[in-house]
Amino acid sequence: MPKTNPLPALAGVAVLGLLMAAPFGLPVFAMTLLTELLILGLFAMSLDLMVGYTNLVSFGHTAAYGLGAYASGYMLLNSSLPLPFVVLLAALLTGVVAIGVGWVCTLATGVSFSMLTLAFAQLLYAIAFKWTSVTGGSDGLAGIPRRAGPFGLTIFTSKMGFYYFALACLLGAFFICRALVRSPFGTVLHGIRQNEAKTLVLGYNTRLYKIAVVAIAYALGGLAGALYAPFAGFANTELLFWLLSGQVLIMVIVGGQGTLIGPILGAGFFMLLEHQLSSYTEAWALFFGLIFIAFVLFAPEGIWGLARRLFARRGLPAETRHG
Amino acid sequence: MQTKSHPSRRDVITGAGAALAAPYLWTSAQAQAAGTIKVGMPLALTGPLGSVGQQQKRGAEFYAKLQNAKGGWLGKKIELLIEDTAGNPAACVRKAQEMVERQDCRLFTGITLSSEALAIVPKLAEWNAIFISSDNGDGRLTAESFVPNFFRANTSGPMGTRAVSLYLKDAPYKSFYALGLDYAWGHNSVQVFENELKRLGKEFVGKVFAPTGTKDYSTYVTKIRQSGADGVYLVLAGDDNNAFLAQAAQYQLASKMAMLSEQLELTAMRAVGDACLGIVASARYAFTIDNPKNKEFVELWKQEHGGLVPDQFEGEQWQCQRVFEAGIAKAGSIEADKLRAALEDLAIDDIKGKVLMRKCDHQGVQQGFIFKAAKKDGFSHPVPEIIATLPAERTTPPCNKMTYDD
Amino acid sequence: MGVAQDPANVGRMSTLALLLTQGVNALSQAALLFFLGVGLTLIFGIMRIVNFAHGTLYMLGAFIGYSLVRYAGSYWLALLLAPLAVGAIGTAFELGILRRLYRRDAHAFLMVTFGLALVTGEAVRLIWGSDALQVPSPALLSGVVFLMDEPFPVYRLFLIGFGVIVAIAMWQLLERTRLGLLIRATSQNAEMVHALGVDVKLVRSGVFGIGCGLAALGGVLAAPLVTAAHGMAATAVIDAFVIVIIGGMGSFLGSLIGALLVAFVQVFGNYYLPDFALAFMYLVMLLVLVVRPGGLLGKEA
Repeated sequence: MPKTNPLPALAGVAVLGLLMAAPFGLPVFAMTLLTELLILGLFAMSLDLMVGYTNLVSFGHTAAYGLGAYASGYMLLNSSLPLPFVVLLAALLTGVVAIGVGWVCTLATGVSFSMLTLAFAQLLYAIAFKWTSVTGGSDGLAGIPRRAGPFGLTIFTSKMGFYYFALACLLGAFFICRALVRSPFGTVLHGIRQNEAKTLVLGYNTRLYKIAVVAIAYALGGLAGALYAPFAGFANTELLFWLLSGQVLIMVIVGGQGTLIGPILGAGFFMLLEHQLSSYTEAWALFFGLIFIAFVLFAPEGIWGLARRLFARRGLPAETRHG
Repeated sequence: MQTKSHPSRRDVITGAGAALAAPYLWTSAQAQAAGTIKVGMPLALTGPLGSVGQQQKRGAEFYAKLQNAKGGWLGKKIELLIEDTAGNPAACVRKAQEMVERQDCRLFTGITLSSEALAIVPKLAEWNAIFISSDNGDGRLTAESFVPNFFRANTSGPMGTRAVSLYLKDAPYKSFYALGLDYAWGHNSVQVFENELKRLGKEFVGKVFAPTGTKDYSTYVTKIRQSGADGVYLVLAGDDNNAFLAQAAQYQLASKMAMLSEQLELTAMRAVGDACLGIVASARYAFTIDNPKNKEFVELWKQEHGGLVPDQFEGEQWQCQRVFEAGIAKAGSIEADKLRAALEDLAIDDIKGKVLMRKCDHQGVQQGFIFKAAKKDGFSHPVPEIIATLPAERTTPPCNKMTYDD
Repeated sequence: MGVAQDPANVGRMSTLALLLTQGVNALSQAALLFFLGVGLTLIFGIMRIVNFAHGTLYMLGAFIGYSLVRYAGSYWLALLLAPLAVGAIGTAFELGILRRLYRRDAHAFLMVTFGLALVTGEAVRLIWGSDALQVPSPALLSGVVFLMDEPFPVYRLFLIGFGVIVAIAMWQLLERTRLGLLIRATSQNAEMVHALGVDVKLVRSGVFGIGCGLAALGGVLAAPLVTAAHGMAATAVIDAFVIVIIGGMGSFLGSLIGALLVAFVQVFGNYYLPDFALAFMYLVMLLVLVVRPGGLLGKEA
């Protein structure tokens, strides 16, 4: 077995340590942002499974986010299930629905696939908008509570507790994804990305693999949405609006697709940049756009790629690419 | 090893990273400027409702400027925290949260969209903050979604519709069709209208809802035309309102039936020009409202804004600030419990006449104004000509309700 | 004004008149959608670029049109100059930025056109302000004609007529001229065209410019109906995508058919089933893609 470089793992542990210690050092408003960042990071990472590893570009990933958010919001408002169960259940639900979505969308490839995902997202948007009795229509669901955990545990109702729960979800999802892409399943995905025809010829039912990837990606995206609803206290049609689909795709690309960590960084970058720029100037969208164009021109491998190049220049070996 | 003649990429990235992270790492350095009263306004300054948010911003800034010249509130200057949400509720909550947690802001106003307001309102108790709305018209905010820390100084959607219905009592039209935006507010107002018509003994022929962002209203114009009603009641806003009015005028719809609207602000009248002539609408605020305080306000506004007159949301924002002023003066404090108690049953008499912030659901009880869009000397576009003023007790709904009993 | 003067006027239309009016409504809506989609299909067909900035360029056309009408006094001038101006901007963008990205994967285009959309959108707001602006149609087109005694706007008839003219002109351009041949050849096999000694880069720049100009033309034409407003961009880009996908990315005739299909479904659908108004377009797209994944006349499956 080849000797693996311990440095990336150590760096990972250090970052994890920082994240775990965060609530004790950072001020309250920063914690709130960090929690939202984790949720968005999870959302972006889930899309990377499709975009970065299988070359399935989705223009409708916000469907996963919105579905997860509405499912979890509805359950928290209308049942007495504890929060962790609701969140995981909502994610599962999203994944199941996504099997159907994936089945239809994978009838096509390329841009047609992307547009089908968009169609589903828009239809979901239309349904959420009109089905007022369940989704609250254009007003959405408001006042979503953070219900106490099982056995009367109130840990998740506090900000700190919720933060750790979100962190646990992100870490769990990350390890699942990493295991997936390093497994034989991941190798097939890689094959599909590189040359689907060849992979097909080798005897793999590529369509099944694609549907599976869509389902898993949506489930994890739904997990993010399910976390968002109790975090923000509301779920509304904005979470299903196609603009968010475009934004999360940008997060994946800016962060560095096909790296899992990259999109998390991309989400953080996007959110913080938007937040900060809009507090400095009304014309923030201008700078935002210019920064993206600059990224494309000067940093095509994304934030994570840049970061790895920094390590490489320092003489440290860059971590081998996942998958 | 590359030659370093300019900052290396690493330096740029480290610098950028620090710039992004820094505001979150140091806290006391970003502490509030001592001795100001902060008012948080996470507005939609860009995006499709940008023009409404811009009006709210101008209204608040104008008020703050004049009031600060007089010493502000409780001897402290008013500091407006204005940031752009682009109409996104997630961004609105994020910004409001930061204003509370980082800048210790406890007063909020000027949230543009009702969806943003509905997202903010459940958090007011946790933030110990008071929110007085200046433009959120969704009836729910004083009904199902009511929270004690919310006050509505502006005319609500149901109130606007009710004013139109009261006006119609003595009008010759007998049957109506309704077109609303497919949105909570649209449905709400059309429902109120339908109920009111029944009470008046007039015929409600039917209704249709158009999705926001509809570009082509030809089908809807035809449907309205085909209803055979005497008049059509419109519950549209923003770009949709403009598009419909422009297109309806091209079909000469006004020659077939009366056109009434829940909202028609100056920006819309400027955008469609003569296409809106003759439309009868409810005004939340109009610069032509005839009372001494409003005349004075309009004059001061014109001086400050190069001869332009104040529009609907600018006036509403001003009124909202006046409510804050009276409440804070009475409470002697901006602390939520004291301010809430002071605002309840508080009355002011200002540019829209008397406004009473009633205790039961915190709605500002105020008159309704009906106007007709007409030409006026000195203006290149139609302006609101007030044709009826309706008493406050008749236009404001019963406590915690969106519909009327009588 | 504003009051129904003559009781006889307030009767309903006959069924025939209704169908006729709705039919012409649908054609005028199809014209609007066609103008919206044709630029996008051209750009995608040649360059395989999904142009996210399409909606903002459409909006830019409307606002430039506003300024031209306001200050130069002529709508016709606006109709001519706004597309040229935006086309020039598009070409400049292609020369300066897009050129560097052809070797890269498609995601680069996505991001860079997204960035362009943000920049252009905000630039429009900074230059023209946040309010919607009136763009009056020219006096010649501002009246009505009577279709079976029902007033119908002349401007919409103009849209239909102009749409037909532009469609025919483009069809002729693509089928009969050398430029059209180059465009079609490049879309099928750029390498071969390059090998034959043609400057493919020039073709691409030209096509991108024309595509942007067509988007702007759509904006100027729509402005008298919807005003020049900021919300235009967001709704426009989605609508354009749907039309083009239904018709088949890269197929000019496809975008025409797609526009007609969507317009008729929407006009008659919204009349009889207004609850589905939001969903019609996407349902049509879904159905088409499931049956023919490349779109009705698409080349790519």
